[in-house]
Amino acid sequence: MRRLGLRARVTTAFAVGALLLSASMALVSYELTRRTLLDERERTVLRAAYYDAAVVRAGLDVENPDAAEALRTLDTGTSRRALMLLNGEWYGRVAGTGVTDAIPVRLNELVMAGEPAVQRIRLDDQPYMLVGVPLSESAFFYEIASLRELEQTFQVLALALTAVAIMVAGSGAALGWYATRHGLRPLTAVADAAERIAAGDFTTRLTPDTDPDLTRLSTSFNRMVDELAQRIDRDRRFAADVSHELRSPLQTLAAAASVLARRRENQDERTATAARLVADEIDRFQQLVNDLLDLARGDQPVHREPVELTELARRACRDRDLPESMVHLAADTPATWQVDRRRVAQVLANLLDNAERYGAGPVAVRLLRAGDAGVIEVDDEGPGVPVEDREAIFDRFVRGRAAHHRGGGDGSGLGLALVAQHAAAHGGVASASDRPGGGARFRVTLPGSLA
Amino acid sequence: MTAVLVIEDDDRIRLALLLALEDEGYEARGAATAEEGLRSQRRESADYVLVDLMLPGIDGFEAIRQLRRDDDVPIVVVSARDDTHDIVAALEAGADDYVVKPVAIKELTARLRALRRRARTVTTVEAEVPVFSFGDLEVSPEAGEVRRAGEPVALTRTEFRLLCELAEHAGRVLSRQQLLSRVWGYDTGDERLVDVHVGRLRQKIETDPANPRHLVTLRGLGYKLQR
Repeated sequence: MRRLGLRARVTTAFAVGALLLSASMALVSYELTRRTLLDERERTVLRAAYYDAAVVRAGLDVENPDAAEALRTLDTGTSRRALMLLNGEWYGRVAGTGVTDAIPVRLNELVMAGEPAVQRIRLDDQPYMLVGVPLSESAFFYEIASLRELEQTFQVLALALTAVAIMVAGSGAALGWYATRHGLRPLTAVADAAERIAAGDFTTRLTPDTDPDLTRLSTSFNRMVDELAQRIDRDRRFAADVSHELRSPLQTLAAAASVLARRRENQDERTATAARLVADEIDRFQQLVNDLLDLARGDQPVHREPVELTELARRACRDRDLPESMVHLAADTPATWQVDRRRVAQVLANLLDNAERYGAGPVAVRLLRAGDAGVIEVDDEGPGVPVEDREAIFDRFVRGRAAHHRGGGDGSGLGLALVAQHAAAHGGVASASDRPGGGARFRVTLPGSLA
Repeated sequence: MTAVLVIEDDDRIRLALLLALEDEGYEARGAATAEEGLRSQRRESADYVLVDLMLPGIDGFEAIRQLRRDDDVPIVVVSARDDTHDIVAALEAGADDYVVKPVAIKELTARLRALRRRARTVTTVEAEVPVFSFGDLEVSPEAGEVRRAGEPVALTRTEFRLLCELAEHAGRVLSRQQLLSRVWGYDTGDERLVDVHVGRLRQKIETDPANPRHLVTLRGLGYKLQR
């Protein structure tokens, strides 16, 4: 079973606590009230019974006493019934023989022994109070008083107390929910901050002085973010510094290589080949350094502006001596997108270069829309990308397997990593799939560019 | 022969650049410091100056400002730094173009040729002189003259070329890419080049550069010169 969340647990605890408390309070008050009311009723019934007994005794204290007559003089109303046992004969004011059977034996014995007694009994499933008063050696007076009204009062009371207990439990739950909401608010703030940091916003900090109890949490959280930001910054600066430091010697190499290249006719074949190798590798080295710098700078914010994508794509083709006609704009897609020009130009360039290097040349560049996202697709007719490599090729320094087989690979190994980074900077993704009819299809989504 | 002054403190880079530029048919001179470069330029003016930003003593930015004070020689920054901040600062100091190391010699000479095309329009004076006027602003591309309220305005060649391009298409929007390709000869390039030069131009031709009346920005589209 899934463990309940902190909030649910606190809420449940509050509810259970409130219920226990209110239920015991209700029970205690119910018992106290019941006992008080019953005692009072008992006293009333006893008083009435003694009074009636006195009246009956007086009625019997004549010659030829008539028990029925004596009972008749009583004013018992509807809630009481009087009975008398005279010389072993039962007399009742109202005909009702069943009542005599209900008189408990213990009580009867007490009364017979000359002790007045009182007991609560149930008769026809109704509550009654039975009072027995010995009148003389052979005359015993009994009175049965209905406790129905009192019982009803108890029922109402019990109902009311139960309702209150439930309500209190409910309020407890609500209080728990409310309290945890407030109690958890700092945690929500921490979660929000962590999410922002995960999204790359390292300026996010918690305000440390909002709650003295949480100062430690916010201070250590902020220190963690500081450390993290510093570390990331250090790594990035290192990559940037390295690339940067490589640029100056590369400038010397590039200039020197061009001097060598100019003299190719005067060189013997071996020297010329060596010079060409040097020049080619310098180009590749330069590309690598530039890509590394771009990667190191990748978390810079996207600078969106209206960019005519068709023109950008056509130019990318033109720069590579590819036919501009391979650029297709879908019918429902505007030609102008809100994107970062530099980044998208590099996306197009790297995807085309990738198709040339590993995909036997690009066959189509499609610009389409998916909701508010602009989508760039570059198709090639190469061997395609194996399913297991489709994520890894967007990592740094991972080149297509085909390239290893060929022993070639003149790219920096960072091209697709940069594509993925630029897509991510726009809030989108880069992915590779099969092109229907063979080859690979690289797809880059740029959300928000057609808003 | 076209003379190029290379101000670069790294001996090997300087030597390699001089060799390569000489190969391309330039008369190349080297200077290891800004001071030496400034002296050389005053003694014998080169047609172009290539300058590094990180220099001992006077740094590249200050060197550009001092060079710019003396004349309108085309200045190209050749730097390993490619922060926006550095590029904008160098262009604002008065550089005409900015290339990041390592730059291929072919690319560098293409940049220089593009600058020369710009330079030529200033020096050629034709008999028939078309003048564009924008309120109190007059632009004569052929005469190489710009006047504001009758007073001549001193522009660098690049600023002048940019203004002429906008004036020839008065009332029409030119995108940054169009301006890059027409003024700097870039097929693809850094649009900050355009923005910084437009900013510099505004300082010189607008009464209130912060609220330009003639050289207006059309957000997302480009720039337009209007009355």
